[in-house]
Amino acid sequence: MTNDPTYDRLRELSWRRQLTAGEAAELCAWLAAHPDAAGEWEAEAVMNEALGQLADAPVPSNFTARVLQTLERESAAESRRRWGRWQLWVRWRWLPRMAVAAVVLVAGLFSYEQATRAARRAEYAKSVAAVSDVASLPGPEVLKDFDAIRVSNPSSAPDEELLSALK
Amino acid sequence: MSAELDPDAALMLRVKQGDTSAFAQLVDKYKQPVMNVAYRMLHDATEAEDLAQNVFVQVYKSADRYRVSSKFSTWLFTIARNLCLNEIRRRSRHPASSLDAPHPEQDDQPLHQVEDMKTSAPPEHLLHGELERKIGEALAALPENQRLAIVLCRQDELSYEEIAKVLDCSVAATKSLIHRGRETLKQRLKPYLRTGAWGGAK
Repeated sequence: MTNDPTYDRLRELSWRRQLTAGEAAELCAWLAAHPDAAGEWEAEAVMNEALGQLADAPVPSNFTARVLQTLERESAAESRRRWGRWQLWVRWRWLPRMAVAAVVLVAGLFSYEQATRAARRAEYAKSVAAVSDVASLPGPEVLKDFDAIRVSNPSSAPDEELLSALK
Repeated sequence: MSAELDPDAALMLRVKQGDTSAFAQLVDKYKQPVMNVAYRMLHDATEAEDLAQNVFVQVYKSADRYRVSSKFSTWLFTIARNLCLNEIRRRSRHPASSLDAPHPEQDDQPLHQVEDMKTSAPPEHLLHGELERKIGEALAALPENQRLAIVLCRQDELSYEEIAKVLDCSVAATKSLIHRGRETLKQRLKPYLRTGAWGGAK
């Protein structure tokens, strides 16, 4: 293998494309100065020609349309998958959550009801206690002469002397 | 590299926004080179077509990940390379027997092919087809990375630097791969090269 920068550059160019007229002239000059490399270059040139003769792969005329069709199909399939995933998500994630929420709500309502009922009972108990206190007061017979006393001295002024003495 | 400099990148920016007509333009432009790469890598026209379609579908789906800083063709051929290598790995895991391959138990085939001395030289197009088949087979027998390097080297769209990016190696390593692959091809095709059987190839 020839290790010369000019040769390497021209060879690498020839791998990709036809050499330009200037490059071909440069090659001729280089080969004239290095005749021992002529055989190697010829092998390269034949290989380039052989690879250049490889025909393009056949592309169907509707290739682009088919790609777009595949995209549409995949997009539709993706939408269906997404819908299915959402349904699954609702089924397996939302339903248990909603059930738990319902249980919590019922338990809350029940507790509230219980608490309200207990408060009401306490109120009743207080009322009963108050009524039972009223029962221990002196009986109504204490007031049996109330009217007679009130009528006997309707305009008597307060006994100021007695009040000041009491103070 | 800005979108103004690279028309493909500008088209990709439109694809990112869901513009399918821009995508169709890119497919039209690159379907032949991508098909060539897929065909030379897989050596099967039907599979190459499926794979090439898949390459473009991936391009569309991955449009969000495309960065304008990288050249579109480099990005496209990187996707093509990855899918080709995946397919080759899949094939090696699940080998399928070819319907074209000769079956050992087929007894309706002659044991030896006897040359018909009366026939004249084959027509030019048959000779060319045969030689093309030989080159294709020799290419297919190369290691994957050498084959891909040689195939990409034939693509006008890519420079050596871009081929190196697609192959994920240095430029020097890329050139070395191409050189080694070509040397192997020369050895394998020596009989044909020596006879000058491919017409103008001399």
